[in-house]
Amino acid sequence: MMLKLGVFELTGCGGCALNILFLYEKLFDLLEFYEIKEFHMASSFREHDALDVAVVTGSVSTQRDLNLLHYARNHSNYLIALGTCATHGNVQASVEGKIREKLEKVYGTKANPMRALDSTPIVQHVAVDYALPGCPYDKDEIYQVLISLAKGIEPPTKDYPVCVECKLNEYECVLVKKEIPCLGPITLGGCNAACIKSGVGCIGCRGPLPKEANPASEFEILKELGYDEEYIRRKFKTFARGELRW
Amino acid sequence: MVNIEIEPFTRVEGNGGAEIIVENGEVKDVKLKIFEGPRFFELLTLGRHYWDVPDLEARICAICYLSHSVASVLGIERALGVNVPEEIMLLRELGLLGELIESHALHLYLLVAPDLFGYADAIRMASKHGEVVKEGITIKAFGNYIREILGGREIHGINIKPGGFGRYPTVEELERIERQSEALLRPARRAVNIFAEQEPLGATVQHYIATNGYLYGDKLIAEEGEKFDYLEHVEEKTLPYSFAKQSRYKGNIFMVGALSRVMLKHDMLTPMAKHFYEEHKEKLASGYISFNNLAQAIELVYALEKAKEVAKTLLDKGIEGENVPIEPQEGEGIGYAEAPRGVLVHHYRIDERGNIAYSNIITPTAFNHAIMELSLYEEAKKRYGDSDEVTFLQKLEETVRAFDPCISCSVHVVRL
Repeated sequence: MMLKLGVFELTGCGGCALNILFLYEKLFDLLEFYEIKEFHMASSFREHDALDVAVVTGSVSTQRDLNLLHYARNHSNYLIALGTCATHGNVQASVEGKIREKLEKVYGTKANPMRALDSTPIVQHVAVDYALPGCPYDKDEIYQVLISLAKGIEPPTKDYPVCVECKLNEYECVLVKKEIPCLGPITLGGCNAACIKSGVGCIGCRGPLPKEANPASEFEILKELGYDEEYIRRKFKTFARGELRW
Repeated sequence: MVNIEIEPFTRVEGNGGAEIIVENGEVKDVKLKIFEGPRFFELLTLGRHYWDVPDLEARICAICYLSHSVASVLGIERALGVNVPEEIMLLRELGLLGELIESHALHLYLLVAPDLFGYADAIRMASKHGEVVKEGITIKAFGNYIREILGGREIHGINIKPGGFGRYPTVEELERIERQSEALLRPARRAVNIFAEQEPLGATVQHYIATNGYLYGDKLIAEEGEKFDYLEHVEEKTLPYSFAKQSRYKGNIFMVGALSRVMLKHDMLTPMAKHFYEEHKEKLASGYISFNNLAQAIELVYALEKAKEVAKTLLDKGIEGENVPIEPQEGEGIGYAEAPRGVLVHHYRIDERGNIAYSNIITPTAFNHAIMELSLYEEAKKRYGDSDEVTFLQKLEETVRAFDPCISCSVHVVRL
């Protein structure tokens, strides 16, 4: 029997939904197991019923987002938080200040007729079954999880820093060799070290490595390279402000 | 009074909808609503070092991240008084061409084509018209390949930096781009014929705005041929029912995007694209919004021809791969780029330590907000009572879709 899939977009750049389309022929492989019941970026077809799997992208940044998230949770067996907005809040959650102050700075009024909220990751609001960070996430990860769910097996998880994939690709260490600030040692791997391939430092878009990371040591290294504390603190928090470990 | 709601628009990027207000059997007003939450990018970048800023700005939008990176880098370089050599500008142009190919192919084949063939989406359309969908996906994947090489990743790469690039493309990569753009011209030409068949929808454009170069520039241009900075002639206002703002050019509603570019800059088109422009000139000049799709198809041909030409130029000259060194200094600069869906503005003031002291970003969908609303109004007025509700709503969605709106982008902030 076909599994029912819904893709829900809260506030974000649209990239996490788009990245599903970038699966190309693998998307058609997924359609051997799933029928899409909701995916407004890709389809005008909607059938709102119980879902087997809800994929939720974006952060909770409006009351509408929150309602949609609860709807997705209440109508699905499995809920996947997809992308750093959903798992860690991403850049919009790192903007300091209360919502009405931010609105005033930007729109010139504290009025909030559209009911904007301070941005938070979805994991703060509902229980999620799988959380796949990344800005964007690696598209093979969502493929793996959806295929595993369809086959009733537990999807593989990643628990190593960006440095592992950097070494496997034999890229030159930009932090040690070029003294470029790189968050690779404390950031969850799985991106195949895309930024270090470009010769620039990891900016931490996949969020902190859950275990065994040593952010204090990374902090000291960057300080020794001459970066001021405020700069480093902001850099650490850019994608994962809600995360206490950093 | 009856209100008809469309919520949300489908087959567009981001969260938006419309409210159609009907009084005494007539459409009285239409409100275009953007309910994508605000993300406060101007506050996010405030006080940050200029070097890190383009990587953050890219996150405004996934479909046009590279345009955001380039506009950001151009604004920063102008603020810092940096001039980069031709090679770097050509590579940026190549990246922008890749993004145009990716984005237009996505929009035309996967989002608009289902309307023309009568399906809810491209997946359902693929059962009968697999060939068309497959061609679209192949072109889109090629655009993404260019974005990966020049931008660093398919989405949100951080290779485009002030003063140059993190990594320069190899000869093999440029050769592949040159070869493949040639090979994909044939299906792109077919696309022009498909989208030339679309019916006229929406408002007719009275004012077009674009950048002075085809894909980037140092000024804006309008139909009068005058060059100007956005602050000179574009005003913005906020709305109580939307997170986006509306803009006017000298008090008038205007349009940015493929149709504007083709109308204002057809002299810059490549030979085959120019041929298609001549062939469909009358249709395009009628200004109906739905012909933005046709203009995009013509641009798909342009981008493939141009990508081949740029790759060849770079191969003939050889890549030096030298970044321009930058000394932080106080300054102000505006970067203009053409995202696939229209003019994008990144405006910065930088302090003496190289940190951002002010920024303002205006995205194409924000520029187009007013004419999108007007188009919905005119289409709704014309059709209300004449067609059944399903068709009525479908046609309104098709009208919005023709703008290729990027709603994530449109949520932006100004004037700190």
